[in-house]
Amino acid sequence: MEALLRFGESIVALIIGLAIGAVILYYAGYSPWEAYYQLFYNAVLDKYGFARSLAEAAPLILTGITFAVGVRAGLFNIGAEGQLYFGALGAAIVAWLAYRMPVLNSPLGTIAAYALGVILASLLALIAAVLKVWRGVHEVVSTIMLNWIAFWIVEFMRIHYLFDPHDATKTIPVPPGARLPILLPDSELSATIIVSVGFALLTYYLLWYTVTGYELRASGLSPKAARYAGMDPNKSIIIAFIVGGVAAGLAGAGEVLGRPPHYAITSGLSNLLNMGFDGITVALIGANHPIGVIFAGILLGVLKSGASYMQIFAGVPLEMVRIIEGIIVIALAVPGTLHMVREYLQRRKKLTQLREQEAGKSHGFEGSGLQPSGAQQQ
Amino acid sequence: MSGRPAPRVSMRGIVKIYPDGTVALRGVNLDVYPGEILGLLGENGAGKTTLMKILAGFLRPTAGRIIYEGHPVHFRSAAEALERGIGMVHQHLALVPVFTAYENIILGLPPSIIAGARKRIEKLMDETGLHVDLDQIVELLSFGERQRVEILRMLFRNVKVLILDEPTTNLTPVETEELFKALVKLKKQGKSIIFITHKLREVLEIADRIVVMRRGRVVGEVPRSVAEPRLLARMMVGREVLFKIEKPRTTPGQVVLKVEDLWVRRDIGTWGVKGVSFEVREGEIFGVAGVEGNGQAELVEAITGLRAPERGKIFLLGRDITGLGPAELYRMGLAHIPEDRRGTGLVLEMSVVENSILGMHRWERFAKGFFGVIDWRAAEEHAAEIVRKYDVVAPGLHSPVKHLSGGNQQKLLVGREISKNPKLIVAAQPTRGLDVAATEYIRRLLVRLRNEGHAVLLVSSDTDEVLQLSDRVAIMYKGEFVAITRPEELSREKLGLYMGGAAATA
Repeated sequence: MEALLRFGESIVALIIGLAIGAVILYYAGYSPWEAYYQLFYNAVLDKYGFARSLAEAAPLILTGITFAVGVRAGLFNIGAEGQLYFGALGAAIVAWLAYRMPVLNSPLGTIAAYALGVILASLLALIAAVLKVWRGVHEVVSTIMLNWIAFWIVEFMRIHYLFDPHDATKTIPVPPGARLPILLPDSELSATIIVSVGFALLTYYLLWYTVTGYELRASGLSPKAARYAGMDPNKSIIIAFIVGGVAAGLAGAGEVLGRPPHYAITSGLSNLLNMGFDGITVALIGANHPIGVIFAGILLGVLKSGASYMQIFAGVPLEMVRIIEGIIVIALAVPGTLHMVREYLQRRKKLTQLREQEAGKSHGFEGSGLQPSGAQQQ
Repeated sequence: MSGRPAPRVSMRGIVKIYPDGTVALRGVNLDVYPGEILGLLGENGAGKTTLMKILAGFLRPTAGRIIYEGHPVHFRSAAEALERGIGMVHQHLALVPVFTAYENIILGLPPSIIAGARKRIEKLMDETGLHVDLDQIVELLSFGERQRVEILRMLFRNVKVLILDEPTTNLTPVETEELFKALVKLKKQGKSIIFITHKLREVLEIADRIVVMRRGRVVGEVPRSVAEPRLLARMMVGREVLFKIEKPRTTPGQVVLKVEDLWVRRDIGTWGVKGVSFEVREGEIFGVAGVEGNGQAELVEAITGLRAPERGKIFLLGRDITGLGPAELYRMGLAHIPEDRRGTGLVLEMSVVENSILGMHRWERFAKGFFGVIDWRAAEEHAAEIVRKYDVVAPGLHSPVKHLSGGNQQKLLVGREISKNPKLIVAAQPTRGLDVAATEYIRRLLVRLRNEGHAVLLVSSDTDEVLQLSDRVAIMYKGEFVAITRPEELSREKLGLYMGGAAATA
């Protein structure tokens, strides 16, 4: 019930965000109708456009999970960005190895790439976890620093070891045999979306159907109650960081293994940039619930791919979509405001009811109220 | 109401509806006269504090008006009310801990008033008998002394209406007596004193007039001359309260809990518990009385596995459990009803079902297989059984526990703890903040558990509760048991002396 309400609120926020965006588009001299038509027609209704939306959504769902699981454990883990870089690094290392070891030019290579990416990303997440548990370092500080460390390590590796001899602006691409299968021929959509949705569902199961998830959520809501119940909140913190690291690692490795045309890390990590931070938006829109995160991820994927269509066909600059995205996130705070207005109106209504009730009594509303009166059920 | 001077304060038709829709006050009328002590009596949640917070400017009424000294007033803040002469001393004092008493009293006043303030404060102390060391840092003062600082702070600002919210909760009997003396002096100076309490004995002792509130209404007003405890109690609760709880004789069985020379440190490193030894047997309620903060919390935490003791041993059914964690202890037969039920005993955002397995969630009953998959159907049945057995009123098994009333939260918690099928039940302040009906329910339940052969360790700062329920009582003072005795042998006076530490030195 509450989840449904929360979903409704997200829809309302989306509509408000689009409406305000329309006003801005209008005053910037564009036709909002044309812009939105191009955005949604191409990104949702067109087969190839929607495939691209899902391809965009795939990593965002996973980084959304990273943040959402953190929140459930009481953390503000914004390390998905760096962990995603490390996930991509793992896959790029396997791609580099595959040129020396042909056996990796196969699904074995895919698995190896995912595995190494996940391990590297989790280890990076584990640094923040250990700092938090042992030394009380706040995760916002540690993860933001680790994001930069990860960025430059991956850049260093790309420039000095993993570069493609034919095109030094990227790493050696994943050999064809190890790439993820494309789901729709001639589109960008590969099996990454299956990995993403699958992992989100797995996280949902973990959080709500296992003792580990129960402890994680309880620790996040009340560490004191968790200790009272014989749990170790620190264990939950470490688990949340690792699950988040695995998710971000899958996202990063997936971008290298299953994202045409590069199948590699490009210069300045330009094909990975901001995917981790966008996960925070996704988690917020999805109410930090794995199922909500799937839908929120797809929504953001649609906006992202739609933005380029909007640019091509309606002439609206790409930045416009970022503005609309931002407004949607802000509008998510609006349900809170609506809530307050609703409460105020309810209070007024209750007051008039109360006046009528009390007026019906013998002593009246302003009476002395001396005799005990029957208690009203609230 | 004839033959009286005009009221100083007249509250008319005060309604307060909180943002979440809770109706706290349903149209309350209240008059306060100069030179009187008005006892505002009512259960927790009756609306006493809300009404007074409105008078003192902390809250704004949803409807109604306040006439103060003949003029309608609309206070926008507590500072404004204080400036006009209405001051409130809260249950939780609001002083700057690192400032001295003197600095706290003059805090926020313009220099013109501060000039010569010290002399005037000293004069105030002499007049009222409320003495404190003005140069001492508030942090180092006792609760009673801090309260005096608050009262002096108000008096120094020349309040005409002084509101005290449950002022005796944390005072020793001697401190209470001194406070009462001061209040009588202030009354004689023409001040209006409003004394909020839920303790019958106190209003009967000090108030000139008693106004009883229940569920957001004033249900009656009685001059002290005709006030009588049973009448007040009836007005307060709306029905005859059964003050007596039947407690059949039992013969205590084998030792369940044995504590030997236990030493426990507080968070800040000082000793909380200093060498306590005792035993609790089957079919016995062992009560620990004392003013809060004398080591009871640390004692409970050590026994329930939440705090490692520094020295000494704890045995449960003969097995050494020193240093074991809560998870192991629950399996061995411990139930813990913690002092802070909302923050510790329950996860408010979680559902009734989720809370019903808290602490038992790893038991084979609920966690299946290697991965510990929760059997939600078993958990639901378990929750439904607790709800049925202990009359928990909840909107639904899947609604968050925060939507339950305090009494129902406690019933759920206690029900869950009993469902652990414990040998030893540790109950800390089990009825704090509950209404009379829920209090009675919980107390009867504890006695029933004792009759059924459970061992109960009851820690409570409510002396009535400890005396009424316990088979043996220990009084804790500064980390030690100053006495262990039978409640029949303990007069209220003697208990007060023990609690205040007086008997320890005598």
